[in-house]
Amino acid sequence: MREDLSAIVTEAVGDAAGRWDLAGEIPLDLLRGLGGKGLLCPEIGTRFGGLGLTGRECGELTAHVGSLCSSLRSVMTSQEMGAWTIFRLGDRTQREHYLSRLTGGELVAVAFSEPDAGSDLSAMSTLIREDGDTLVVNGVKTWITASVYADLLVVFGRYGDGGAAVVVPATSPGVRRDPARSPLGCRAAGHATVTLDAVRVPRANLLGAAGQSLAMLTTIALTCGRLSVAWGCVGILRACLTAATAHARDRRQFGVPIARHQLVARHLAELYVAERTATLACERASDRWDEGSPDQFTDAVLAKLVASRAAAQGAATAVQVLASAGAQDGHVVARAYRDAKLMEIIEGSSEVSQLLLADRVMGAGR
Amino acid sequence: MPESASEHLTTAAIEQRLLGFLLERTKIEWEVGQDLFDTGVVSSLLAMELVVFVEKTFDVAVEREDLALHNFRTVRAMTDLVLRLGKATDA
Repeated sequence: MREDLSAIVTEAVGDAAGRWDLAGEIPLDLLRGLGGKGLLCPEIGTRFGGLGLTGRECGELTAHVGSLCSSLRSVMTSQEMGAWTIFRLGDRTQREHYLSRLTGGELVAVAFSEPDAGSDLSAMSTLIREDGDTLVVNGVKTWITASVYADLLVVFGRYGDGGAAVVVPATSPGVRRDPARSPLGCRAAGHATVTLDAVRVPRANLLGAAGQSLAMLTTIALTCGRLSVAWGCVGILRACLTAATAHARDRRQFGVPIARHQLVARHLAELYVAERTATLACERASDRWDEGSPDQFTDAVLAKLVASRAAAQGAATAVQVLASAGAQDGHVVARAYRDAKLMEIIEGSSEVSQLLLADRVMGAGR
Repeated sequence: MPESASEHLTTAAIEQRLLGFLLERTKIEWEVGQDLFDTGVVSSLLAMELVVFVEKTFDVAVEREDLALHNFRTVRAMTDLVLRLGKATDA
């Protein structure tokens, strides 16, 4: 890992993650500060003012952020997905224009899900239509991570007989953001419902071109998001392992440190297995991404499924080991317990991930 | 600029590579003119795998309007895309 970069994040977060969780908010200037150093989308290259990390390096940094604060890691995931979507779908002018802003302190959120289009993104009803030199966007997007903080929204929707993504400034007339109240986890990640009511943007804000498939476009963005979430889960597990082993060493019951009790020792072993398994799945997937291998898409789904499941189980185990010492909102294992559960839902639920993997093993046969 | 790999590949050779990849992924034999998406067999993940397979195998970049479904609908369409992008790289 790039120690210099992880040290900047460690210092910025300090001991504040628990307080951000309780307040449901991360200070905006802190997000802008990290973003301005290129740390929120670290794969973006130096020619756009970014850090130009490999996928694997970016993953390790993401895990570090995730070990400190899953809300901050969620904001980072949004920035990575938004930047990647612009890089992959945008033309040269759009790349230079937007990516330099995203490595310069501006924040982006990516809007896929809708009230009636969650797992079934093909049911998306947000409409992008042309009106002369402008585009008009109408739709409702739910649970849009980081949208409370965002300067830019990358909105996916129907366009012609296919799909497209469009960059919408968050302060455009017709954009309304209603923050999600008391989310179960990642409480400071800035989730909101975003309503787009006849929002007009220049045609130049369209990413991609006519005739593109919405399913392909969302797969591009989601693959990046799945890798980021999976590495974030590795971070959750590392934080849980640190907290559980420290507690098991210090806490004495029946005259010995609780780590000496066999049932507690098993919990510690299982946490280690969870962290290692998730790490290996993530390393493999990021390597496929860096190689430009066609396997990157399936391996990202696999890593996300393995890591989120491991994190949900591992966080529950860590709470069990710490017991009353960790059973308070804001505590690292209490946050992990709530945050990890959401990781089994976002960027493709465990069930959707399983269907994708079943398709992969069955080929045309399912 | 490195020479495009596709320059040295005939239409038949490109088709063979694509058919081989599809056979490995879907476990069935395809015809070059057969619509991959109409059957419901080819998922969005496999569609993106095809995009990246084409990029990696034939050393081309599939960007912007080329990233459209119709370019990946049949083996023949993908072959045409590879030949066209290969020429563009040389230019």
